[in-house]
Amino acid sequence: MEVYVDIDRCIYCHACEVACERVHGEARISVGAVEERASVPLFCHQCDVAPCALACPAGSLVQGESAVSFEAERCTRCGLCAIACPFGAVYIGETALLQKCDLCSEREVPACVLTCPTEALIWGDGEDGAKRLRRRAAGRMAQSCAEAIGRGRI
Amino acid sequence: MAEEKLVPTVCPYCALGCGFYIKLKEDGPEIEYMLDHPTNEGSLCAKGNASLEIINHPDRLRHPLKKIEGGWSRITWDEALSIVAGKIEETIKRHGPDALGFLGSAKSTNEENYLFQKMARTLGSKNVDCCARRCHSPTIPALKRAFGSACMTNPIPDLANSDCIFVIGSNFAENHPIVARWAMRAKDRGGRIVVADPRLTPTTWLADLHLQIRLGTDVALLNGMMKVIIDEGLWDRKFVAERTVGFEELAEMVAGYTLEKVSEITGAPPEAIVRAARFYAKSPSSAIVYSMGITQHSHGTNNVSACADLALLCGQLGRSGAGLYPLRGQNNVQGACDMGVLADFYPGSISVHDREAIRFVEEAWGTRALPIGMGMTAEAMPVAAAAGDLRFLYVMGEDLVNSDSSSSRGRRELENLDFMVVQDIFMTETAEMADLVLPAAAWAEKEGTFTSSERRVQWTYRAFHPPGEARSDLSTILDLADLLGLDFDYAATEDVLAEIGRLVPSYAGISKERAQGIGGVIWPCPHPEHPGTPILHQEGFSAPEGRGRIVPMEYLPPAEETSLDYPLLLTTGRVALHHNAGSMTRRSFSLMKRSPELFVEVNPKDADRWSVIDGDLVEVETRRGEAWARARVTPRQEEGVIFMPFHFPETNLLTSDVIDPEARIPEFKVAACRIGKMKGV
Repeated sequence: MEVYVDIDRCIYCHACEVACERVHGEARISVGAVEERASVPLFCHQCDVAPCALACPAGSLVQGESAVSFEAERCTRCGLCAIACPFGAVYIGETALLQKCDLCSEREVPACVLTCPTEALIWGDGEDGAKRLRRRAAGRMAQSCAEAIGRGRI
Repeated sequence: MAEEKLVPTVCPYCALGCGFYIKLKEDGPEIEYMLDHPTNEGSLCAKGNASLEIINHPDRLRHPLKKIEGGWSRITWDEALSIVAGKIEETIKRHGPDALGFLGSAKSTNEENYLFQKMARTLGSKNVDCCARRCHSPTIPALKRAFGSACMTNPIPDLANSDCIFVIGSNFAENHPIVARWAMRAKDRGGRIVVADPRLTPTTWLADLHLQIRLGTDVALLNGMMKVIIDEGLWDRKFVAERTVGFEELAEMVAGYTLEKVSEITGAPPEAIVRAARFYAKSPSSAIVYSMGITQHSHGTNNVSACADLALLCGQLGRSGAGLYPLRGQNNVQGACDMGVLADFYPGSISVHDREAIRFVEEAWGTRALPIGMGMTAEAMPVAAAAGDLRFLYVMGEDLVNSDSSSSRGRRELENLDFMVVQDIFMTETAEMADLVLPAAAWAEKEGTFTSSERRVQWTYRAFHPPGEARSDLSTILDLADLLGLDFDYAATEDVLAEIGRLVPSYAGISKERAQGIGGVIWPCPHPEHPGTPILHQEGFSAPEGRGRIVPMEYLPPAEETSLDYPLLLTTGRVALHHNAGSMTRRSFSLMKRSPELFVEVNPKDADRWSVIDGDLVEVETRRGEAWARARVTPRQEEGVIFMPFHFPETNLLTSDVIDPEARIPEFKVAACRIGKMKGV
């Protein structure tokens, strides 16, 4: 299971950040606005070939099948993972060791997904997440298409 | 294993009434999402997630405090209440009951507000009001006239069934984020979102069509849209003929609002106005969502009326997906209004001028000679204090100093009071000015009902003990009433709710048990078996003859215009991470970290003109005062207009005190101003 993002729905409300901080002590997700026109939540993508895990000399970040796990007791705080991550989604935190999304391993569904007011964050496996995104996009487009061929409501 | 307990609660911030659980466990409380709540389905905005940060906050007021030379002295509750009772009696004896003022709270429960106004009016004072005066007071006269009742017509989740959502003067994506959930569900079904707003906001990101209109030109836009709708024959003839009055006058008046003229006034392109009009009128079900961008104007009542006219003209009411949504700001502002904490209404919307109906209240309260006639409104109280007409002010949970427009004037005026008592959870700027401060319990430290913007009445449970000696407003009022010799005899909170039900017909069927259910009950709920009424006006309106009244409104420009000395316009609003006057969110660590200080948004062209660089500390000055804010140079703002959020005390030093003649709301949204950089730095 992974967290998918429906960019059309992100409203830059920061609910995911505050929820993550509430649960983990520090926010492992952050939302950035782009050109005052859209915003994007950034968090660990749980890469299949994770640069952070490849870079980690201590074996603290471990490449798993569907997630990259973190073993705190091995971490030396060298910071190579933070440099390696292309998304800036791994960092050395203020209050704890390394901060990286662990998909809320202690919960059924991650807090950011549950709290997201607009359902911009989707919890599902690869196929499921993509299917939900497609269904929404189709619904949004259907009306314009219907109008274009003279079958619209308006 | 340590015992865990889940206590359901209602979010204390905005008026959407989102539910969540407080999980009580040994190592501290935690939030658990309430997935089956009908309004939020578990989701919470940033403020909701941060809400427990104010419970047990080090700044909480813990003991009654009396002002002494150079500070405060801790006193006992007995001393405090006898001082308040003594001052009330003394004021009545010397100056009469109309020298007493009572400001209720849109953060307190229905039961607390009900008893608060009952105490004030039983003492003979007409002067009862609350902060609704500064947010939706125009909604009340305008929608009462149009529909017979002044509230949101459909529940929030019903927005998902709208084919067109017309948003005017609301930035719900930041200020009521859960509304965006349902608006996006409407889009998933092919629905359209049309937003009229002078600013680029996260709400306009969601729009299929954004009309970037000039400040305060809403009535011109609405009239222009109605002219298009009438000219193109898109209005609902059957609905207008059977269920409304006033169409002819409207048609005659809007005939003057040609596209050219409306485009010139509003700045919106003519074709966009036509598209917006067609979307709204032709969609099978359309909704209008509005908020402070409509109400906080010197012609706020006209703005609301014009929104209601559009809905009546197109028959977009009384059905699923078709409704009018005034989005309210405080968790219990709807309830405070229902309870009659308004200078113009007794509980249950009984007019203060209606002698017959007030006689009914007198009988219910077992009292005689309740005051008749309009009391002082929230904004009139400081003015009356300066004039010496108001001598004593009781403020329950409200930071009027920070939330009043032109606030330095208000502050000076309040200094003239003989005595002010403030009951709050924090030492707000208003409390600092008081003679006596009483510590109050926060929402999850007491019990009672809150009524959300959707008219949803929900129970709040006591999950925590209030800190120190803080007490619920209810117990404070009951003890004070006792000292004043008033016969307030209630064994429990639900006894107050039962009395409310006897006086307010919409609440007659609402019991503690029903309010405790997930999602509570949506009023009107006239008897215990009634399921509640999510959608209003399905059969008829509660206005005379059951007909909706279309009242044509001419466009009036904002009161202040730019001049050589004040070449820019200042508008105000909210941000996602703060709430109203900020006494709670400015004390919330996770919110302050993300939004730490007052800022001012300036268009890049204006920034060039006044040599402002992003990140500069700039001075903003209006005819009433000046304030410092961090510049954010951004195209979110159109040229000639700057924006400041009102969650920080400085903003309202600047705002205009011109008021709407009917609703008496100040024009927070438009003030002529100038900006400059800090000199000598």
